[in-house]
Amino acid sequence: MAYNLKEVAKKPERFTGGHRMCAGCGAPVVVRQILRALKPEDHLVAGSATGCLEVSSFLYPYTSWKDSFIHNAFENSGATISGAEAAYLAMKRKGKINQEGETKFIAFGGDGGTYDIGLQSLSGAMERGHDMVYVCYDNGAYMNTGIQRSSATPKYADTTTSPAGKAIPGKQQWRKDLTEVMANHHIPYVAQTAPIGNLKDLYEKSEKAIYTKGPAFLNVLAPCPRGWQYNTPDLMDISKLAVETCFWPLYEVVDGKYIINYKPKNKLPVRDFLKPQGRFKHLFKAGNEYMIEEIQAEVDRRWEALLKLAGEEA
Amino acid sequence: MGEKLLMKGNEVIAEAAIRAGCRHYFGYPITPQTEIAHYMAKKMPEVDGTFVQAESEIAAINMVYGAASAGARVLTSSSSPGISLKQEGISYIAGAELPAVVVNIVRCGPGLGGILPAQCDYFQAVKGGGHGDYKMVVLAPCSVQELYEMTVEAFNISDKYRILTMIMGDGILGQMMEAVEFKDKEDIISPDKNWATTGTQMKREHNVVTSIFINPEVLENHNHKLQEKYALITENEIKVETYNCENADIIVAAFGTVARIIKNVIKMAEKEGIKVGLIRPITLWPFPERAFQKYADVPKAFLTVELNAGQMLEDVKLAVNGKKPVHFYGRMGGMLPTQQEILDKIKDILK
Repeated sequence: MAYNLKEVAKKPERFTGGHRMCAGCGAPVVVRQILRALKPEDHLVAGSATGCLEVSSFLYPYTSWKDSFIHNAFENSGATISGAEAAYLAMKRKGKINQEGETKFIAFGGDGGTYDIGLQSLSGAMERGHDMVYVCYDNGAYMNTGIQRSSATPKYADTTTSPAGKAIPGKQQWRKDLTEVMANHHIPYVAQTAPIGNLKDLYEKSEKAIYTKGPAFLNVLAPCPRGWQYNTPDLMDISKLAVETCFWPLYEVVDGKYIINYKPKNKLPVRDFLKPQGRFKHLFKAGNEYMIEEIQAEVDRRWEALLKLAGEEA
Repeated sequence: MGEKLLMKGNEVIAEAAIRAGCRHYFGYPITPQTEIAHYMAKKMPEVDGTFVQAESEIAAINMVYGAASAGARVLTSSSSPGISLKQEGISYIAGAELPAVVVNIVRCGPGLGGILPAQCDYFQAVKGGGHGDYKMVVLAPCSVQELYEMTVEAFNISDKYRILTMIMGDGILGQMMEAVEFKDKEDIISPDKNWATTGTQMKREHNVVTSIFINPEVLENHNHKLQEKYALITENEIKVETYNCENADIIVAAFGTVARIIKNVIKMAEKEGIKVGLIRPITLWPFPERAFQKYADVPKAFLTVELNAGQMLEDVKLAVNGKKPVHFYGRMGGMLPTQQEILDKIKDILK
């Protein structure tokens, strides 16, 4: 059946309102849509690394999660969910699971908990081949503790631990390409997506990730109004600009085969994505044009490399 | 007289470290101490220092190991769950006898717990949270001014004895703004770090910094050497505040922010004709046993008040050594005792 947002939105909500995420935050939009991709009869064991999503949606004794939810520490969402999956398999083997529908396993983590401190745990879970999905909601910094840089933070972004000043103009390193790192684990399904338009790309990739046997990884862009400093109603526009500039290409790697899901007809200059964000304000001061040029060159380089991997021409 | 400023506790720790000559800071975000990292990120480039945000607390403590091996004055900071992650590195630093300073702005546990103030990491700090027979010096300041003074002191102690020094505060101290008066110049001791791995220039034998000693005789000797050092520190470095203890009806033991609450309790009790004394260990290790021994015969009883389930209590009992009953009053989970609660407990004990 073709994707239809109206129909999808009628499915029972599994991530409910009342959580404390900020207005204009990408993460809850992303989580709701991912969970909609589950068959209503299937069960879910979700886990989250420490982070905004966890502290805002699961303040004991309150929860926004209709399904089972585990929080462990910051660095081990991958390990915790792989443990739960292994236990489920063992119980199933022994005939101790008596329920309708299947149980699915999804680990969530922000970019700090995934790109940095949780990378070891994620890599282990994927390599061992657990039947689970790991979702990174990437907002490009440690937003929960007050906007510190992470290895997902774009170069030159102003954060509290890479403050843009006269001597050092923001973060000095390029962002780690985690989607590629995970693709090189040669697992059945890896995808990069973002909440744009009618959320079709996000939904379809979530469905594939959840119902592909074995480990799957989703890297989902999740803009943060506090850290990126945009107006809260602009969430969807910012997200779209990330995709239209090829800063955040939508693609998937299915059993090793690269598929680019969206090729902008007119690739927009990256400045269109940077301009509405306060964290890049200093890039638009006279004399700092070189920074935007550098970022543009890097975006182009990575986009062309991706086209090549997918066997397409620029 | 130096400069007097109104500053946040966490920022004062960072400023004090820079004033003490620390030019290497390795950190990782965790509430309620992240302002230390923020401050260092801004200030270190100005003083030609190094600020590195690591990818985890484990990485940060091992960066400390590296910088300390090269003879640098080096700092890392975190809060309880992050300090747990650092324990492996802390044990290795102890084994390799490296000087370094670690700040723990304690939050309530166990597990992720919460972000509110607590003193529940006392055992971890003074009894050895990592593996092996080791000690570190643990300083427990109770004001923003003391955060400044003890941070400078921590670097001096570390360098003097080649030992790790921990500054243990809580979210109240870290987040609170108070006046702090800086000296124009710090008293910095700088012993010759001729053991550091600074490159031989082909002019000397190479130095070795390690905590691995496969030969059991050698390792036992190494452990004896460590114990001798710990005995020397116990002899020289104990710090304690005793207040109102002469003729006290009861002596309260408390450290850090709790000791400040006790000082107000003392005033309240006075109005009711009860004389309350205070022994405030400033070094939690080495523990000021003698202060307790000195006053053991004075009061009818001792009371320890802590933000935990009773941890320093054990050391107070060992020090009082059965001479008087030692009672306990504690709050947990980020809850703080009110002055009235403590006074009621005192009256209950003296009944």
